[in-house]
Amino acid sequence: MSIATPTAEASHDGEHHAHVEDKLALLKKIHTFSTDHKVIGVQFLITTMLMLLVGGALALGVRWQLAFPWESMPFFGSLFAQQGGQISPEFYTMLFTMHATVMIFLVIIPILAGAFGNFLIPLMIGADDMAFPLLNALSYWFMWPAIACFGASFFFGGGPAAGWTSYPVLSAVQEAAPGSGMAQTMWLLAVTFVGVSSMMGSVNYMTTIINMRAPGMTLFRMPLTIWAMFITAILQAFALPVLTAAGFMLLFERTLGFTFFVPGGLVINNADPTTGGGQPLLWQHLFWFYSHPAVYIMILPAMGMVSDMLACMSRKPIFGYKPMVYSMAAIAGLGFIVWGHHMFISGMNPALGMTFMVSTMMIALPSAVKVFNWIGTMWGGRLQFNTVLLNAVAFVSMFIVGGLSGIFMAAVPVDIYIHDTYFIVAHFHYVLFGATLFGVFGAIHFWFPKMFGRTMSETVGKWHFFLTFIGFNGTFFPMHLLGVAGMPRRYADPYLHPYLEHLLPMNQFMTICAILMGFAQLLLLGNFLISIFVGKECSDNPWHANGLEWSAPSPPPHGNFPSVPVVYRGPYEYSDPAQPEGLDYWPQTEPPPAPA
Amino acid sequence: MARLLSNHLKSMRPSWPSKQTAMSLSVNVSECGRQAEVLLVRVGKSIIGVTVLLTIAGCGAQQAEFVNRDDIEVLIPEAQDHVREVLDTHFGHPTNMVLWERMPVQYHGAYGAFTETPAVEGETEVTTLNVSLVEQNLPIEPGQMLDWVSGKYAGQARPEVTSFDEAGNQIGIVPGLSVPPDAGDRFAIAPGAVITQGRILYAEHCQHCHGVTGDGNGPTAKYLYPRPRDYRLGKFKFTSTASSARANRDDLSRIIENGIPGTYMPSFKLLTPEENHAIVEYVRWLAMRGEIEFKLIQALKNDYSKEAVQSVVTSARESDSALSADDARKQVVADMEEYLNGDWLEEFNDDTKFQADQWKQAEDPSALVMPKVARVADTPESRARGRVLYLSAKAKCATCHGDSGLGDGSQTLSVQKNPATNADYDEPGLFDDWGNPLKPRNLTKGVYRGGRRPLDLYRRLHAGISGTPMPAFGTVLKDEEIWDIVNYVMHIPFEAREQRPGEGAGESRPATPEVATTETQGSLQVAN
Amino acid sequence: MKRFWCTFFVFWPIMAVILCWVAPAQNWWFPRGASGTGAAMSPLGERIDDLFYMILIITAVTFVGTQIGLGYVLFTGARRSDAPHGAEDAEKTWFTHGSHNLEVMWSVVPAAVLLFIALYQMEVWAEFRVKDSFPDEVRTGPIAEVTARQFEWRIRYPGLDANGNPLELMPDPQPTDLYTVNELHVTSAEPVMIWLRSEDVQHSFFLPELRVKQDAVPGLVIPVWFEATKSTDYSWLCAELCGWGHYKMKGRFVAEPEEDLREWMQELQNEQMDDGVPDDVGDSQVAD
Repeated sequence: MSIATPTAEASHDGEHHAHVEDKLALLKKIHTFSTDHKVIGVQFLITTMLMLLVGGALALGVRWQLAFPWESMPFFGSLFAQQGGQISPEFYTMLFTMHATVMIFLVIIPILAGAFGNFLIPLMIGADDMAFPLLNALSYWFMWPAIACFGASFFFGGGPAAGWTSYPVLSAVQEAAPGSGMAQTMWLLAVTFVGVSSMMGSVNYMTTIINMRAPGMTLFRMPLTIWAMFITAILQAFALPVLTAAGFMLLFERTLGFTFFVPGGLVINNADPTTGGGQPLLWQHLFWFYSHPAVYIMILPAMGMVSDMLACMSRKPIFGYKPMVYSMAAIAGLGFIVWGHHMFISGMNPALGMTFMVSTMMIALPSAVKVFNWIGTMWGGRLQFNTVLLNAVAFVSMFIVGGLSGIFMAAVPVDIYIHDTYFIVAHFHYVLFGATLFGVFGAIHFWFPKMFGRTMSETVGKWHFFLTFIGFNGTFFPMHLLGVAGMPRRYADPYLHPYLEHLLPMNQFMTICAILMGFAQLLLLGNFLISIFVGKECSDNPWHANGLEWSAPSPPPHGNFPSVPVVYRGPYEYSDPAQPEGLDYWPQTEPPPAPA
Repeated sequence: MARLLSNHLKSMRPSWPSKQTAMSLSVNVSECGRQAEVLLVRVGKSIIGVTVLLTIAGCGAQQAEFVNRDDIEVLIPEAQDHVREVLDTHFGHPTNMVLWERMPVQYHGAYGAFTETPAVEGETEVTTLNVSLVEQNLPIEPGQMLDWVSGKYAGQARPEVTSFDEAGNQIGIVPGLSVPPDAGDRFAIAPGAVITQGRILYAEHCQHCHGVTGDGNGPTAKYLYPRPRDYRLGKFKFTSTASSARANRDDLSRIIENGIPGTYMPSFKLLTPEENHAIVEYVRWLAMRGEIEFKLIQALKNDYSKEAVQSVVTSARESDSALSADDARKQVVADMEEYLNGDWLEEFNDDTKFQADQWKQAEDPSALVMPKVARVADTPESRARGRVLYLSAKAKCATCHGDSGLGDGSQTLSVQKNPATNADYDEPGLFDDWGNPLKPRNLTKGVYRGGRRPLDLYRRLHAGISGTPMPAFGTVLKDEEIWDIVNYVMHIPFEAREQRPGEGAGESRPATPEVATTETQGSLQVAN
Repeated sequence: MKRFWCTFFVFWPIMAVILCWVAPAQNWWFPRGASGTGAAMSPLGERIDDLFYMILIITAVTFVGTQIGLGYVLFTGARRSDAPHGAEDAEKTWFTHGSHNLEVMWSVVPAAVLLFIALYQMEVWAEFRVKDSFPDEVRTGPIAEVTARQFEWRIRYPGLDANGNPLELMPDPQPTDLYTVNELHVTSAEPVMIWLRSEDVQHSFFLPELRVKQDAVPGLVIPVWFEATKSTDYSWLCAELCGWGHYKMKGRFVAEPEEDLREWMQELQNEQMDDGVPDDVGDSQVAD
């Protein structure tokens, strides 16, 4: 039998010096146009972690204004030289617009699909690389024009200031929003670049997963991470063209004088009346046709990764593997017919509101099934309380809140009241930060040893988790209450309205928590960067996990596996009593014992 | 091979998953790594401290500072210093305001003068003083401070107000005084309360457009058309006062309450009257400060601009080659000092007094523009007469506002002269006194910035719009003629509609509900 | 340390429940405003609140249930991992790939609950937005036209006839129309309708105490109806990002008895016709 097996001996037997050289193999190529999927994954990961800090800083600007309205802001105030150091209202608008934009387009989507998708897909299915390595590299490098365009948009006027949803007429007419001139155009260009980047990734993932699985890796032996990536790729492939088309329509409207979205006769900022016969709701439909599936693009991969982490750290098989797969497929399918729930009060046909309400309620079902299955997975397991598990449990715990608060919004009459209030803000932060980002933090700790052959510091990891979790809940849980109290989103100064005045102390508390949480991310970055060089060295399979990726060396060399791995079982056979050596794990590559 | 691995791992198993576990398979805990870990944990702990510090920083005060007009830069540094000093002496800074009694600004909660109070023997705890209030802006309540504005106690510690008898005009203060202030000495209660409230509200609501100094150049301003008002000329456009007079408080307060239609100035209707008043006073104070700054610079510009001084120095050296440039310059500066310590003081005194009087006069009812004749009935005949006047050489409305009121008159195409410098503008079209391009109002829109009452339109015609080319017709036209024009102008928006039958839902009017609802039918009729 | 983390994960849902429990007493709940209690100030709003509380109860039960489940799983999982795998005294890991019965149960029950919630909401939504379900009172026509613009509300009322009764509001402006800015007066205790439109970008007409919200869309005229139960002032603001001054769109919304409204409109008309010369009311008749 010449099946590739992990080279634990090598790492154990010494040759430390030579090994240390090896461990930085991925990092050393980070500046190159490498077509190795692992290098691209690491490139994505480091880029998005830096972008996470940028997005976080923008959010702190927003929080600052809400806690200390119109007072001089440290750093930002002097940086942007506003009169009196104030955050002016259009600067505030730019802050939250760019916060959302950076977090969605430059952090969450690329860190899930780009970083982990790239790094894990070939490793987990036993392929030597992606189907189209060059396309893969391009998908990373197309991020940079996007980052450049987003960055540049800061320096035109007040920056793009129509929210990340960029509803026309506000985003379409130059006079309507400060800086809406070149800034908004740059923003649209950047979104197009990100879209191209995602599209290249998604085509690649689908092809790779369908065609390049190792022998024995049947569809239902794939780890849930791969299922999630696969479904995400399908979602992207079908939803993105719509956004791209809408983006181009808006670009043409802004630059070439087309009218798709702006009706005639509007007088904005005292300019001449607009001409043409566009329809603003068209954009909302097109935008949400992409952006609602995008919400699932932003969580499905995290769901998959958390499933893997939970199974491994509970030393137990996934509870209900197939229901988990079907749930993800159902989320993806239903995800295409619920976009209208963003538009209940937008003036669209109220009959549509009813149908969208039913479909939206129904999409809560697969999410619920997944939650129950995660709890079922941990049930009766031997939980290993390390940073990975803590983050994964936080994912489940926060996702429950985010999922339940979604039901309020799905109910149209209730949505009349809470639409565009902080309740919505609380909801999507619980899903996107509470769930996705905690999942990502866990994934970083989980797969870091595979990337660099060392582990991240557990102590620091737990400190980071502790501070982030406290800060997160302190920041976002009270937002539910603000929403019920009727505080609208995107208000530079809610306290102008007497019925919101008493909420100032609560907002100050939330800002303190947000600052705490923001600084805690420095721990993650520090832990990540320092551990690359001085973290504890570890074997190829430090977690005693089953997945194929753990049978490759850490970091895997170009081509990943010394020879083509053969898969004998699913990825979650932990604590199987049938395991011949009595181990609590059973790697996918290990052949079953020969019948006696 | 696989078997080998399993055996190997099995041997490691007992230590899994406790801390020295699988990770220690290839353990080489580098000292460096341990130190980094300790360091990061320390960072984690200090994050809590940093958060607290930043929060405290957040409670800090605003650091808004007045900046000077750009054209102060043309002056020599010594003259610049003088301008700054004058402004500092009389106006101070946003967070440290000087309340200059001369200026008719209602700074305080209440302000007035003492009347004769009989002296009381011995020390008393509470002294009751007879007063006569000149203005009362806030209710007088126990606990407020009393400030000695003039008289023998001026500058001394402020006593606290204990009681106020409105009917008897008596005020009790603690600590008591053995010698009462002289009759005529002035005092302020809750000193600066109004103007401080005004500043805070201004910073919240107004500053990001109108700027810290009221220069109309806050961070938001660059996106707005028309530009926010620059108060520093002391001019306001939409007033109820005569063409030569300044704006009165009611004018400013009405603009704050109702906003200016057709501009970005929104309505702040939900401010309380006290808040509105506080902002008005602060804006007036900024306008006065700005105007004095403007006039100071204008006054010194002639002789003490960098350019002027340079030419004086050059010519002095031409006539006396022994003179060093430095000495020649010193001479000029000495001259300036002499002027500033001599004649200028008197000029400044007179100028500011005159300026203060103008502001005061604007408050007088006689300054209001009121028609003597009631509005002429709004009949087709009246409108026809108005139309004739509108086109006539007498009123010349059409030269700017255009024959059909579209704001496209011939003047908008020709190059105008700047009334201040008498030089041509660079571009054709109309400009206001702030140098911004100005479109004559498009009268077909039915949007009237100064208000849509007939009275408001009458006032626009009678007194013009200060700071703009819109002239005052009060002396040229009779009241009846003005009313005819008003009737005509108010009818222009509907005239335009009548002339275009079938285009009722024309360019500025979105589809009517009838049109919109026809698209959806069936049992579930849709409401949009 | 394991027990600490288990407690940590149990601690925060407890905090969350406590926070929500004390929130109404701390005034962190529905705006108290005119009611003083946070109750909705319109019949439709009360029904919306009922639906809200219904969902709140369902989600609270689910939340507590799942968090208890999670806590139980964590504590037992921590206990199990005390002893290493394979040790003599170790509790066995539950080796299972799932349970078909459980899957069916926790699919069907939530599905039924969710479907029930969805269907239960329909009627209120229909009444708020579907024209055929509007109350009869508001089918006669709007009381005023509210036009949103950056950053204020401009309101157009029909003028009054000689008897002081309002004329019919026409889709296009009339010379007799009355205008206000940021001030909308309506009759209380009966359904009234407005036309909502926008002059520039999207806005949203939001009356928090009445639980009314509707976007104003450029190019559309949208009828919005509401009923304020009490005669008083209410908060009124914009809820759709409309530019830098979004937060400034604060209006005065007054519900009052019909007589007061008439009187106010009469005053408005008098003011609007003011020519500065006293004692000549009626002197300047509008000829259209």
